[in-house]
Amino acid sequence: MPRPIGQELVALLPRLRRFALVLCRSPSLADDLVQSACERALANADHWTPGTRFDAWVFRILRNAWIDHLRRTRTEGMKEDVTAQANIVGDAGEEPMLSKLLLVEIQRMIDAMPSEQREVLLLVCVEDLAYREAAEILGVPIGTVMSRLARARRRLVELTAAA
Amino acid sequence: MAQLHFNDEILMAFADGELDEQVAASVEKAMSSDLDVARRIAEFLRSRHLVRSAFPSASASDVPSELLAAVQAQIDRFEGHAAQPETPGKVQKLQTPRHALGLDMLPLGWALAASLAAIAVATGGYLVGQRGAEPSLSGPIAQLAAPEVRRALSETPSGQDRDLPFGRMRVISTFRMADGSLCREFKLEAASGSSEAVACRDRDWTVRFAVASGATNDSYVPSDGADLMAGYLQDVGAGAPLVGAEEIEALSGARRRK
Repeated sequence: MPRPIGQELVALLPRLRRFALVLCRSPSLADDLVQSACERALANADHWTPGTRFDAWVFRILRNAWIDHLRRTRTEGMKEDVTAQANIVGDAGEEPMLSKLLLVEIQRMIDAMPSEQREVLLLVCVEDLAYREAAEILGVPIGTVMSRLARARRRLVELTAAA
Repeated sequence: MAQLHFNDEILMAFADGELDEQVAASVEKAMSSDLDVARRIAEFLRSRHLVRSAFPSASASDVPSELLAAVQAQIDRFEGHAAQPETPGKVQKLQTPRHALGLDMLPLGWALAASLAAIAVATGGYLVGQRGAEPSLSGPIAQLAAPEVRRALSETPSGQDRDLPFGRMRVISTFRMADGSLCREFKLEAASGSSEAVACRDRDWTVRFAVASGATNDSYVPSDGADLMAGYLQDVGAGAPLVGAEEIEALSGARRRK
C-alpha cells in the first residue's frame, strides 16, 4: 500500500488548477485536466519518492496529461474554445505599487505568449521552482528553460517600458 | 582590463539566485562597475515581480466545489475512506467499484479509469465485459479487426474519415511506440457502438488497445474514454504524432514490408 497522498493533493489543488489554466486557458478544460492528473497521481502514488518535491511531481503528471490531450486534438482538430480566456488577473492588493490596469496589461501580455513561455514563467516566477525542477517537469534541458524564461521576461520588460 | 560579457541567461540566473558562488561573484563584480549589467539584472528582478503579481494567488476558495468533490471521491476510492462526495452526477459515475467490472487484470491506473461504461481491450486482444452485457463478437470490438479496417489503416492519412460497410472510421494519429513499432490511433463508429483503438503494424495491423461503448449506452461520456486512451498512450511511451511527409513515409514503409 503506497503512502497516502490524498491530503497533500487536496492542499495542492489551487496551484494545480492555476497551472492547468496557464496550460489550457479554459476553466472547464482545466478542471478536467486537474481531475485526470489527480487520478493518475493517486494510481501511481508509489512512484513518488518521499523527500522529493511532491508539488513538482504532480505538476509533471498534470503537464503530461495536457500533452496527451494535445496529441489527440492536434491531429483530430482543436475542439476547445481557446479564445475563452480565464479571468486570472492577480490580486492588486499584493503589490500596492502596481496599478490594476498594469496588472491586467501584464496578464494580457502573458496570455499572448506561446505556451512554452507561459508555463515556465509560472513555474519559476510564481511557483518558485528551481530551474532544474522546472526542467524536470517540462522534460527539457535546463538551458532550454533558461532561454525560454529569459526571452519571456525580456519581452515583458520591453513591453511595459514602452507602455 | 578585459571586459567579461554576461548573456541574459547568466544575469537572469543571478537575479534568481541560481548561479554558483564563483560565477555569482564575478557577476557581482561586473555589476558594481558596469551600469548596463546592473540595469539588466534589475530588469530581471522586476520582471519576476511583475509576473508574480499578475498571477492570481492560488487559494482554496478558487477551487470549484465540484472539482474538490470529484478529487475527494478519487482519494476516497484509492485510499479507502468511507466519506461520500457531496455532489452527484459526474462524481458518482466515477465511483463504480472496479472489481464489479472484472477489470482487476488491468494495471491499476487503468482499472479505475475503466470503471466507466466502457469496454477495454488490453494488449493481446483480450476482452473485458461491458457492465451488464456479455462481450460480443459482432460488436464494435470485433469489427476493429476487420480486413476493411486493416486496409484503411494502411491507406488513410490522419484526420480523414473513411466509410466502411459497417460504419465510419476516422484515423486520429500515427506515431511510434517506445520500441519503434508504427502505430495508429483511430475511431470506429458503427451501428453496434463506437470505439477508439490503437493498432500497431507487425506483419499486419494488430489492435493493441481499445475503448468502446455500446450504441445504446447513454451514460457513456467520450472524455472519460479519452482519458483511458491517454493513459494507455502514456504508459506505453507513445511518441509524438507523425504528420505530413513523415506520416506518409512511415506508412509507405509499412506497406513495403507487407
